[in-house]
Amino acid sequence: MAERPEDLNLPNAVITRIIKEALPDGVSISKEARSAISRAASVFVLYATSCANNFAMKGKRKTLNASDVLSAMEEMEFQRFVTPLKEALEAYRREQKGKKEASEQKKKDKDKKTDSEEQDKSRDEDNDEDEERLEEEEQNEEEEVDN
Amino acid sequence: MAAVAAGNGAFREEEGTGGDAAAPQPHAPTSAPGARLSRLPLARVKALVKADPDVTLAGQEAIFILARAAELFVETIAKDAYCCAQQGKRKTLQRRDLDNAIEAVDEFAFLEGTLD
Repeated sequence: MAERPEDLNLPNAVITRIIKEALPDGVSISKEARSAISRAASVFVLYATSCANNFAMKGKRKTLNASDVLSAMEEMEFQRFVTPLKEALEAYRREQKGKKEASEQKKKDKDKKTDSEEQDKSRDEDNDEDEERLEEEEQNEEEEVDN
Repeated sequence: MAAVAAGNGAFREEEGTGGDAAAPQPHAPTSAPGARLSRLPLARVKALVKADPDVTLAGQEAIFILARAAELFVETIAKDAYCCAQQGKRKTLQRRDLDNAIEAVDEFAFLEGTLD
């Protein structure tokens, strides 16, 4: 489908909505201008990715992480984005954590219902592994489970 | 099921790139209702990131921040282009307003020559 990176466009509907919300009421945008902005956004992502990748390589990492992207923003002279991005990141992390706890709680509830005896045996084994892998949240859950 | 729906939605956008039709807003099937942290679909952003041959892997948080940054970028460039249109007493943003903004604002220098 898309052969070149520049052809990977972000959805027009979303781009249009972002533009309209940024501008005062009554202001419209021509098709050419909108598709140019959409293309510019793609170029922005590609450029930011490349910058972020440089930071990751400096840190001898192969995976791009959030701080690489934030460093890239500063490098690209978009410092004004850094604060709102940090806030968005915190909100995103909270949301992800909430989802993880919710799905794990569901799983544990489901397991409880199936067979509690076998669960007691396997739980002892699981507890050791869990303590190694996970952190505070899991310890809290273990306390509940033991009760 | 959700994956199929998302796939159909993405397909529709790629085919109708020039249309102004109100296409349903695509978003990740797992996004929590009401907690819309980013409007751009993370899958599309991830595709752009993967297009870079030097990139090995990108974490989920990195993709999310890139999506959010792209939104901020769109807002910023739209507002800057609008300033140019305002000076011309127009209420419709034209392509030349964008070109002017790119020339005028240093931070947009990386866009020169890429939009044609």
